[in-house]
Amino acid sequence: MTSAIVVRGLVKRYVTRERRGLIRSVKRVVEALRGVSFEVRHGEVVGLLGPNGAGKTTTVKIIATLLLPDEGEAYVEGFDVVRDAKEVRKRIGLLLSVEKGFYGKLTGRENLEYFGALYGIPRSVLRKRVEEVMKLVELDRLGAVDRLYEEYSLGMKARLGLARALLKDPPVLLLDEPTLGLDPPSARRIRSLVKELARQGKAVLYTTHNMFEAEIVCDRVLLINRGVIVAQGTPDELKARIPSMRTIRVYLRGATPRDVERIAGAVGLKPSVENDEEGFTVLKFMVRRPEEVLDDIVKGVSSAGYEIARLRIDEPTLEDVFLYFASR
Amino acid sequence: MKLVDIIVAESRFVYAGLFRRKSALATTLLYPYVITAFVVLVGNAMGSAAVFVQRVGVDPVPFFIVSSFILMSVMGVVDDIFWTPLFDELNGTLPYIVASPVDRVVYFLAIPIPRLAIVLPIGVSSVVPVMLLYYGVAGLYESLAIMLLAALAALLFTTLAMAITGALYMAGGETWRSLNVIRPLIMVLLGAFYPRWLMPLAARALSWALPPSHVIEVIHRVLVGAPSATQSLALIGVATALALLYTPLGARGIHGWERRKMREGVRV
Repeated sequence: MTSAIVVRGLVKRYVTRERRGLIRSVKRVVEALRGVSFEVRHGEVVGLLGPNGAGKTTTVKIIATLLLPDEGEAYVEGFDVVRDAKEVRKRIGLLLSVEKGFYGKLTGRENLEYFGALYGIPRSVLRKRVEEVMKLVELDRLGAVDRLYEEYSLGMKARLGLARALLKDPPVLLLDEPTLGLDPPSARRIRSLVKELARQGKAVLYTTHNMFEAEIVCDRVLLINRGVIVAQGTPDELKARIPSMRTIRVYLRGATPRDVERIAGAVGLKPSVENDEEGFTVLKFMVRRPEEVLDDIVKGVSSAGYEIARLRIDEPTLEDVFLYFASR
Repeated sequence: MKLVDIIVAESRFVYAGLFRRKSALATTLLYPYVITAFVVLVGNAMGSAAVFVQRVGVDPVPFFIVSSFILMSVMGVVDDIFWTPLFDELNGTLPYIVASPVDRVVYFLAIPIPRLAIVLPIGVSSVVPVMLLYYGVAGLYESLAIMLLAALAALLFTTLAMAITGALYMAGGETWRSLNVIRPLIMVLLGAFYPRWLMPLAARALSWALPPSHVIEVIHRVLVGAPSATQSLALIGVATALALLYTPLGARGIHGWERRKMREGVRV
């Protein structure tokens, strides 16, 4: 796999003015990016994961030639985003906000034909290409192709946004929170489409603050916080890197508080207790190495006269990983 | 990237703007009559039609219907250039336009061309009936000449409008406020309602810098029945030369605007 996006030491500072009284204002410099570096290869989905204001959109904007960096450099397929902006623009598909970005009085098809013309797609092939991408995002199935954009639901708008990003069949896709606020079926369709596009060889940079989404969509994840990449790797690699506790959940039927105390005494660990919707009493043991205590738990429960209905060991989630790295 | 492809794409806006907004279409067609009625009534209250004929050389009704038509044609086209960056920013479409490989100058040059299509329905519904009523069949021929000249006037404003747009947006701040000041100034200096030969010298000098004002003078000369072919061609020549002269400024303005947007970050 070759690198489609290369980012080295990106720095971006925004200068804002804070009002102090009627006339006076004070200049304030906000560092949105502080030396961000990463690569995205063809055929992979890389998630840029972080909370609001972490620097995700700023990074995407710089790569999309919508913002000039103060320091550092970024390349798309070998073209510099500052010096060769026009070449970069020919190679990227962009989705920034799913809520807007089209003309309300034009239909979905007309909007795509308009942007297709701006992208330099010859008229002879544009109409066919519009049909193809509309079908790909299933807007044809929803009967939305010839409906005015102002009548679209949010899910339809997101699909149309993705359709525009795919219009010129670009090798690089920059998708900024493409499922934000979407209903589950639309979000699921977009996620599966993104994975499929990566399988076809496209490089996808996918920003989100949804940990669950990053885990299921992205091949690699970059954790960004306050303008710095705090960790990167596959979701599994990242989870393996944190010395976090695992949770052992033991499901019992009808255990009383006194029984729980007896079990705790036998195991030598104090569990937290909750009752789930199915009527089980769930004992949660937080441990560093589950394999070392599992036997003791099973024996302790048996000695208290209970049978384990179900047992689960939970790995740390990507959210645990993010919180760990963000707090360091 | 072909200019014709951009023009075809932009034509959709004209179509959507005119025919999918029925109220906008109705007001566009009514506007010349409303403004003419307003000016003629106010004029009659302060003076008389006879004084107007004596000073300008034509009846006020055809004069103001033609003036309203000229103003709508020219400003309709120019406004699209002035407001496009703001409109796209508010609409959320600006990032996708900036991130497209389209040549910005070609894009801005293409914007007004489909808008000229608006000139036709407005002209047919306002200038043609009034001129027919006042001057018979000769008025019909004059109407056609006036519509053609108005379209030319609008087109020749493109490069200067690009330069003004670029300068304003590069200066930053709330551009729409500056546009609200500049726009009426242009409306006066075009000389559509206030013939250039009646303007004070300073205003006339400023008006001279606007390419469409020369074409508008030709239209007025057609109206008062004193068009000299040589003089008309000379005026159109001056207008064309000025429009060409403003082309590099316009291109620099648009590139400057884009650069500024990229420095600030195109708003999503």
